Amino acid sequence: MSHEYVPLDPSVAPLGTRDFRDAGGLPAAAWRADQTEQTLVPTHCCFCGVQCGMYLRVDGHGKVFGVEPRNHDINRMRLCPKGINAYQQVNHPDRLTAPLMRRSRDEEFREVSWEEALDFTVAEIHRIQAEHGRDAFGMLGGASLFSEKTYLVGKFARVALKTRHVDYNGRLCMVSAAGANKLAFGIDRAGNPFSDMLQTDCLLIAGANVGECFPVLTQYVWGARDRGATLIVVDPRETAVARTADIHVALKSGTDSAFFNAVLHVIVEEGLTDEAFLAEHATGWAEVKATVKEYPPARAAEICGVPEEQIVQVARMFGRAERAMACHARGIEHHTQGVENCLTVINLCAATGNLGRPGAGYGTLTGQGNGQGGREHGQKSDLLPGGRSINDPVHRRQISAIWGIEESELPQAGTSMMEMVWQMQRHEIRGLIGVCNNPFVSLPNYAVVKDGYDKLEFHAQLDFFLSETAANAHVVFPVTTWAEDEGVMANAEARVIKHNKAQEPPAGVRTDTWVMCELARRLGEGGKFAFEGSKDVFDELRRASAGTVIDYYGITYDRLEATGGIVWPCPSLEHPGTPRLFEDGRTYHPDGKVHLQVVEWRPPADPYSDEFPMRLTTGRTVAHFLSGNQTRRLGGLVEQTPRPWVEIHPSHGFRNGEPVRVVTRRGSEVLPALVTEAIRPDHVFVPYHWPYPTAANALTIDALDPRSKIPEYKVCAVRIERAEAIDPVPAPPVPPGREPYPEAQVSRTDPLPPTSPQGRGTAERG
Amino acid sequence: MLGRTIFIDPGRCIGCQACVSACRECDSHRGKSMIHLDYPDEGRTVASLPTVCMHCEDPVAPCAEVCPAEAILITADGVVQEADPTRCIGCANCVNACPFGVPKIDLEAKLQMKCNLCYDRTSYGLAPMCATVCPTGALFYGTVEELQAERPGVDVSTMFAFGDTVVSTGVAMVVSGERRAPVPGGTLNLIEVNGRPTPGNGARA
Amino acid sequence: MAGTAPPPQGRPTGGGPTGDGAAGVVASATRSTAARASLIAAAAGVLLVVAIVLGSRLLRDFDSALVPYAVATVFLTFGVVHRYVVWVSAPAARRLFTQGWKAALSWENLKRSPAALPKMIATYLGFQKFLGARSHARWAAHQLIFWGCLLAAAITFPLTWGWFTFTSAGAAGPGYEMRLWGFKLFGFDSGSFLGWALYHGLDLAAVMVIGGAGYFLWRRMRDRAATTGQRFGYDFLPLLALITISVTGLLLTFSEMFLHGGGYEFLAVLHMASVVLTLVYLPFGKFFHIVQRPAAVGMQLFKYTARRQGPDAEELRSCRRCGQPIDTVAAVDNLRATMRDLRLGFDEWAEYCPRCKRVLRGTAYLSNVKRGFK
Repeated sequence: MSHEYVPLDPSVAPLGTRDFRDAGGLPAAAWRADQTEQTLVPTHCCFCGVQCGMYLRVDGHGKVFGVEPRNHDINRMRLCPKGINAYQQVNHPDRLTAPLMRRSRDEEFREVSWEEALDFTVAEIHRIQAEHGRDAFGMLGGASLFSEKTYLVGKFARVALKTRHVDYNGRLCMVSAAGANKLAFGIDRAGNPFSDMLQTDCLLIAGANVGECFPVLTQYVWGARDRGATLIVVDPRETAVARTADIHVALKSGTDSAFFNAVLHVIVEEGLTDEAFLAEHATGWAEVKATVKEYPPARAAEICGVPEEQIVQVARMFGRAERAMACHARGIEHHTQGVENCLTVINLCAATGNLGRPGAGYGTLTGQGNGQGGREHGQKSDLLPGGRSINDPVHRRQISAIWGIEESELPQAGTSMMEMVWQMQRHEIRGLIGVCNNPFVSLPNYAVVKDGYDKLEFHAQLDFFLSETAANAHVVFPVTTWAEDEGVMANAEARVIKHNKAQEPPAGVRTDTWVMCELARRLGEGGKFAFEGSKDVFDELRRASAGTVIDYYGITYDRLEATGGIVWPCPSLEHPGTPRLFEDGRTYHPDGKVHLQVVEWRPPADPYSDEFPMRLTTGRTVAHFLSGNQTRRLGGLVEQTPRPWVEIHPSHGFRNGEPVRVVTRRGSEVLPALVTEAIRPDHVFVPYHWPYPTAANALTIDALDPRSKIPEYKVCAVRIERAEAIDPVPAPPVPPGREPYPEAQVSRTDPLPPTSPQGRGTAERG
Repeated sequence: MLGRTIFIDPGRCIGCQACVSACRECDSHRGKSMIHLDYPDEGRTVASLPTVCMHCEDPVAPCAEVCPAEAILITADGVVQEADPTRCIGCANCVNACPFGVPKIDLEAKLQMKCNLCYDRTSYGLAPMCATVCPTGALFYGTVEELQAERPGVDVSTMFAFGDTVVSTGVAMVVSGERRAPVPGGTLNLIEVNGRPTPGNGARA
Repeated sequence: MAGTAPPPQGRPTGGGPTGDGAAGVVASATRSTAARASLIAAAAGVLLVVAIVLGSRLLRDFDSALVPYAVATVFLTFGVVHRYVVWVSAPAARRLFTQGWKAALSWENLKRSPAALPKMIATYLGFQKFLGARSHARWAAHQLIFWGCLLAAAITFPLTWGWFTFTSAGAAGPGYEMRLWGFKLFGFDSGSFLGWALYHGLDLAAVMVIGGAGYFLWRRMRDRAATTGQRFGYDFLPLLALITISVTGLLLTFSEMFLHGGGYEFLAVLHMASVVLTLVYLPFGKFFHIVQRPAAVGMQLFKYTARRQGPDAEELRSCRRCGQPIDTVAAVDNLRATMRDLRLGFDEWAEYCPRCKRVLRGTAYLSNVKRGFK
């Protein structure tokens, strides 16, 4: 016992009982709840694809100051920690409130007027397009934007910028599932609503960490089990839902298609297929059947690193269930074989006749808030509004007519987001406007991304916090948060819901809609962008989608406010929406059938060697969202999970918290070890929400799926080494002369890994 | 026996800490979270355990009994309140006497704080914040009949064994079917924890 | 959708003089404690009466107009002492009372850290630093009330007891002498600043109290942290009492200075009634914290001195599982003894930190009840 100075006051209390620091989401004075009046504004969460309903609490001065659970039938009052803290972004001290500008990256940003920033941007667009052609200027959108804004991104790029180069960050997220859905069903959305899980007899979850990435969906999973359903989880890590599943298949990352082919092999062998359904509603079954014959459990067990019996068990459990459902997410989609992985799951559902019935079906769990809506209305490089193809002459004519341009003026298909970065490296794209994305954290192989963006002659970014990407731009336009504008989003069920405006934007902040319309006006296309606000855009979007598969025509703001959500297709104002697809057994292909696709397993892009013997897989943690530009500024979430870590199996001999160097062919970084038996010994896991030098995406490979162009985030070759010092987490960027809100950043420098992947226990906080 | 109360099912808990953030939103202690979330199987699984005040009924509120300042009051409906700020002297007796490890203490402010079953919400007829938002139902607020209607076949227990002493509580825990023995409060006199010796049993100082 | 919420329905009960915390004490013990408390309280009351009689030079200096006030103080003394004795008779308070006084009266402690006790008294009882850690505004308001009440009590109590007297120095002068127990303390000129201050001391006190209590009243209407579970008798009545006393007191001055005594008698009765009722109420409600608060000093001194026992003593008790400090050895032992007094059979658990208690319970649940969903 030491005998240094003993303070008179106070004395000792056990660890974890003194954690009384206000979590610092807002300046401390604002925490005091001396409001006797409040208004509750019904809206939805800004984060993931579940789109939980919530009320924002607005005080007498019209400012958002809190959140109240809302009994919306998506979430039934439940919220995850991100959703609860989301409101703190609205009046956050880190908000951008004036345009930032600089003429070269050697200079510091200075605050300028909107006039100056817009003038400079338009001048640069003119200059680059005059010197290097229209396609030398690109546009990148985002899937956390309202659908109206995603529609505007596509229209702005093609009508105002007249460039073919437009894409969005859903390319990093949902496109594999989208591609598979289009191939198999001719429609790109989940087949069943969340509530169908409650009626299923067997729920298969593949590559989805439901407990952390879609926490509120867990109630449906548990609800299914309360009603007697069995649960199968396929994931290399023992996640919170996998921990207690009936079967947890801890396969090697990048082997999903081999596994699902083998499951289908057993289902065929044991006669558990629904031949009547296949004969009537599917094509390509003979070919699929022949292919899966080549995947006996013994072969797949070898490839996947799981016991042979487990494959048989999964096949029996899924195949024998009266009603079975399969859900998947990025775990099987983030692969160079992403589309094919999804197709093997679709094959499984179709072969057992589990489609289009209550409790029987299929769905992808989209990650971003508007991951579904964001890919529907034309901000994807090859799509036009209503999911139309930009390569289809009929579709081109239809949209050109709605937009009031000649078909010949409509640019051709562009390239995907990662490919655009490569084009930036090659100076094929020299100017860029980015809206609602943060590729410096979210794209793979950070070195390449940084190089590509650095080569841009002009780069403008729209955001409400200064993201790592925006901090590298020439112009940053401060725009609204979700609570300061209205608009719709489509959640993972394809349910269109409406976000309502809770407060006026801070002085100096404009909506993304206003910025794009104003830029279009200055580019001489103002007539085609005469939108007062989201409602005007939505009305044009409805008309533009009318008659397509993704038909929004019958959905209006009034109907959304009255109902709490309508699931498209909804072709008329009387139509109730379509929560469940294929109920009549017909898909959206002209022949009405499920087009089964043959899939052969291929190994991941990054080869293993003695030098890089293990597999790195990346993913999310519950307290943070995607690139973390939002959540890394919210005190409660930083406190829960202040920093990234590397999850490793105890067999490697590291102790918890020790520095571990994680090395891939693209980079290396030192992270604290979170030693746990919940991960395969041949895998390591790093969460990806933090920027370089603690970015998981400085390690990942920029290899793309040939069809969906999704990067292979979920597997690459890696080795781990002992190291000396842990790389510190950089503070989130802020404009010059300001500091990130210190109250929220207190825990950021904690060098230890969290207690568990979900975060630090409440007693383990400093 | 049990009225409207919280039911805890750690088996459903995903450790997301929505409850921890939600607790901070309660108007009666805005910015400060009272709920505990631990990962008891650290290093092995991601299992988690939320802890709210159990509102002990027999013996009635040990925290209140050991309070030298009579600062912890119990309402007629059995809710053990947090310390009255005018009386609490910050001695931490309650912190260390509570067998469930619930109360927290602000030594600078000489004030204990703990879960009061969201008195500000339950008195309006709302569920406590943590149980309202819990994405999994690991924290459930209602009656045992409502619980069993949603979850056929579950059983609950309000008896916890600490050595030879059984503490009965106002907040219940979900147990596996037809369990009659009290829920164990844990085993003391540990020689090893997760294969490592404990202090006093050969652990490094 | 919008709107203000209805007032809370349920109200905490208890908090009365018997102390809800002492549930483990058996009835006969309660009876004997009550008898003992009555005896000691009666003795204290008698002592005060004797002090008044002697201090007022056998009632020569006693102002009969102030009799009701003096009687109220006697009742106050009885009530406070009775309540105090009952309070410190409960196991937890009794042990801390003993330990606190032991620490305070220990010659060893005085030698080792002579400044500790006076410093703690100043910071905890005088300047109430701990309130600053709760909220700066509440600290400021409480300080106003505290010093206001202290000033008022310092002036009025000796006056009502006839201990202070003010006598003219000459037959017709502005000169006055202030006397305590008949002994001259100092003389002053009624026109001087000191004279003005002495004359208006109570007005100053009233203004301070109105400021502080007004803030607290406002807070009780607005702040959701305060409005949760507040009770009229416990939370509002003391504030209203303080404000009534202060306002009627100020009105007395106002009446004297500007209304030539208009309404003075009525105001005097009102003021007296409010003071008497407040004094009689003091031992039973929120005001009892004035008597209890010094226990914080005893507690802190007990913990502080336990950590200064010399180089060989074990200062802190560490958690038997994780090794992190829990509290001072003396405090944990004191708590365990208290728990045994109260027949709480799990006192051994006090040697584990709260986190380890939860983790132990969590592991036991995982291995003995159920591992996961089922």
